[in-house]
This record gives sequence, structure tokens and C-alpha cells, in this order.
Amino acid sequence: MNMNILRYGHDSFGERVVNGASWELLPVAFWTGVAVIVAHLVYRAFSRRRARKGGG
Amino acid sequence: MAQHNDRILRHAGIDRLFHWLMAAIMTVLLVTSLLPVIGVHFAWYTIHWVAGLLLTAVILLHIVRALFWQRPATMLTLNGDDLAGRRAGKYTLPQKLMHLAWTVAVLVAIVTGLLLLRKAGVPFLARDPYARPLAIWGFLTLLHDLAALLSVFLILVHVYFGILPEKRAYLRAMVRGWIARGDLKAEHDLERVDRGD
Repeated sequence: MNMNILRYGHDSFGERVVNGASWELLPVAFWTGVAVIVAHLVYRAFSRRRARKGGG
Repeated sequence: MAQHNDRILRHAGIDRLFHWLMAAIMTVLLVTSLLPVIGVHFAWYTIHWVAGLLLTAVILLHIVRALFWQRPATMLTLNGDDLAGRRAGKYTLPQKLMHLAWTVAVLVAIVTGLLLLRKAGVPFLARDPYARPLAIWGFLTLLHDLAALLSVFLILVHVYFGILPEKRAYLRAMVRGWIARGDLKAEHDLERVDRGD
């Protein structure tokens, strides 16, 4: 997959200039947040299971 | 720190108002900037810059209140206790890191947003896209965009931790102001909390 990090435009001399961040990064920001949540839910589930085993 | 039986005042009314006002304004800012990106087109710019100026005013009030009426060190310092994993004072290490991340995202968005007003124009500041070179406008827009992307990530994580059952006492405190001492026991050193650390 070829993903752009930046948005580009051109100045009056035809030179390429940065216009901002590529909007292809929007789903990356969203899914990174979802990944952190899922990772924490998994960690939380394992921690609770370990605590239950330790307590029982 | 004000106490009532087993309850502690965690957030004063003005701070709770600030938090929810900022949440509402950030939602408006992200909706008006990102919906057009995903293909929902509407006249977003006026709503966006008005919300941006409101956010600037609210953040300025928050900074003044934090500096002169509160103890900023409570939230801003990462001390030895935090790093050694000992029980926290008023705020836990993850809460301090979340605040730090929001500080970066919001301040970058505000500073770049205010500078970009000159490029796009508002009723009190004439539009002048030639005021700065294109490369500078591009760099400012890049930082503004990155602040928006960081905010998308932070909203997801912040809301998730806010609604987790074991963290819900913090959410309740952000609504009612009070938190039970028993809810703080697991992660906080109550002596440090009472000292206002």
C-alpha cells in the first residue's frame, strides 16, 4: 500500500509545496485509537483472569 | 481540599464547566473540519473560526485559573512517585499524560489556527494570502492538521477510559464534582490527595 503523509500543491513557479497533512492519515488516527482501546481491553481481561486465579 | 464525610471535592464547578465546554467546542471544531474531508460538504468555515476563537478564550481563562487559583504542579509535574509507580496524588500518571497530550494538541491548533485566520480572512481581519510565503502557510496548515489528527486519537482514548466501569468515578466527579475517598484508594495516596499534591 502506498500511503501519502503530506498534501502537496504548486506555487506560481510550478515548484511543489506542502499544503498540509494527507487526509489518508485520518483513518490512521482513528484506527490507532481503536487499536489502543482493543489492546487495553485484552490486557484488562488477562489481568483480571490472572487476579482471579491468584485469588482463588 | 474540601471534604464532606467520605467525599472529596475533585473538580470545582468552574472547572467542570470548562471541561464540558471544551469538549463541546472540540467536537464542533472536528466535525466542521473533518466532515468535508469525508465528503459531507457544507459551509463549515464560519462555524469553525467562531468555535476556534471561543476555544481560545476558554483556554486562556483555564490557563489564568490554573496559574493563579489552582496548583498547576498537581497536573503538570511528573515526579519520582509517578515514575516509581507509587500511588498518585490528585492525578495519576496516565491522567497527567492525557492532559499533556491535550495541551500539545490544543495549543498547536490554537496558535496555528490564529495565524491561518490571516490567510483565509475573517470579518475583523482582512484576507491576505500573500502575507506569508506558500511554504509557511503549508507548514502552519500541516501543524493544524496534525493537531486535528492527534485530537481524533485522543478523543477515542479519553472517552474509552472515561466510560470504563473501574474509572467511572472520575467521570462522575467531572459531572458532580465530588468523588468518594473509597474510589481513590486503589490508585491514590489519600494523604497526598488531602495535601493537594
